Amino acid sequence: MVLGAALILTEKGVINFNLPAGHELTESNLQQMRVRHAEFVCVQEVDQRSDAERAEAWAQAEARLQRIFRAADLRQPTMAGLYEAVRAFRRT
Amino acid sequence: MALLLTDSEIIERAKSMPAFPRVVTDILATLDDDGANLGSLVNHVEHDPVITARILSIANSAAMAGHGGSSVNDVRKAVSLIGLAKIREITLAVSLADFAHGCRMASYFWEHSVAVGICAMELGRFTHHSSDYALVAGLLHDIGQLWMAHFYPLEFQMVRTAISNGSEGINQIERRYFGVDHCHVGRQLAMHWGLPQAVVDAIYYHHEPDPGLAENLVAITHVAEVLANALDLTGRDGNLVANMSSAACEKLGIDWSQDCGSLFGRIEARTEYACRVFR
Repeated sequence: MVLGAALILTEKGVINFNLPAGHELTESNLQQMRVRHAEFVCVQEVDQRSDAERAEAWAQAEARLQRIFRAADLRQPTMAGLYEAVRAFRRT
Repeated sequence: MALLLTDSEIIERAKSMPAFPRVVTDILATLDDDGANLGSLVNHVEHDPVITARILSIANSAAMAGHGGSSVNDVRKAVSLIGLAKIREITLAVSLADFAHGCRMASYFWEHSVAVGICAMELGRFTHHSSDYALVAGLLHDIGQLWMAHFYPLEFQMVRTAISNGSEGINQIERRYFGVDHCHVGRQLAMHWGLPQAVVDAIYYHHEPDPGLAENLVAITHVAEVLANALDLTGRDGNLVANMSSAACEKLGIDWSQDCGSLFGRIEARTEYACRVFR
C-alpha cells in the first residue's frame, strides 16, 4: 500500500510519527501506526473504472449533492464556499 | 390541534425516560482534573461490563500490535496503553449509545448524532478551537427531537412529513405542532441533567447560532451539523443543507476555499468506523 497523503500522528500536540505521501507502507510501519493509535490513513488505489463509469459515478455524486443543497442559497458566499468545497472533495 | 408544551411537562415526562448516564456528567465535571478523572473514570468503567468489554477489546488490539500479543485484562492497564482521552471518548460514546437505545432511538437518528459529534471534534481540531465538550454536544444536539419522538410520536411524524413536503424550517414547523422547538426541549433536558452551560448553549443554538456565538462550542456544533449533512455522512434521503451562519464560520476562522480534503476525509473515515463500533 502506498500513502496517498502524508501521515502525521501527534500526541498532546507533538508529532511522534510522520510518513510522506507516496511512501510504501511496510509491516513495521503498520505496527508502529497501531501502537500510536492511528485510526485511518489515506492510501492510493488504482482506479480501474472506464471513462464512462467514472463519468456516470460523478454525475450521480453531483446530483446527490444538488439534492442535499436544494434549499440552500448558493448566492451567499459562505454557503457557496461549502458547496464548492464538498464538490471538489467528491471530485477527487 | 397543536400542543403547547411547558417546561415542567418536559422535565416531568423526562423522568420516565431511562436515567441519563451519570458517568457522562461525572466525566464532564472533572475534565480539568486528570487525577480525579482517572480514579472516577476507572471506577465507573469497572462497574459497567459493556464499557469494560469495549475498552479492553480496543486496548487488546493495540497490545497485539505493540507487545507481541500480551493481553490486557484490566482497565488501568488499558488506560496506560490507549490513553485517558481515548478511554473518555469511548466511555462517553458507549454510555450515550446505551442511553439512546434505552430510549428506543431510531438507528438513523443515533448515526446522525455520532456523525455530528465527530464533525464537531474534527472541526475543533482543524480550526484550533478544540473543545473537550465537542463530542457530547454533537451526540446530544438533537436530544429534544428524541424526547418529542418518544412522547409524541404522531406529532413528531407529522413534523417530519411537513419538512419533506415544504420549504419551512424545522424549528418553525415544530413550534406549530408543539408550541416549542426541539432546541428548547433539548435545553430544558440538558439543564435538568446538569450538563455544562457550554453544552446547554450548543444544544439550544445549534440551528440559529448567532445569538450564542460568545461560546465557541455553539459555532462548532452548528457548523458540524451542517457539514454532517453536506457530506451525506448517514446517506439518508432527509439529509438537507438549508442554512449556515456566516458569523459562526467567521468565529471559527473557516475558509471553505482552502483545501478541506484531509478534514473531510478524516470525518468520513472516523464516522464510518464509529457508526460500526457504537451501533
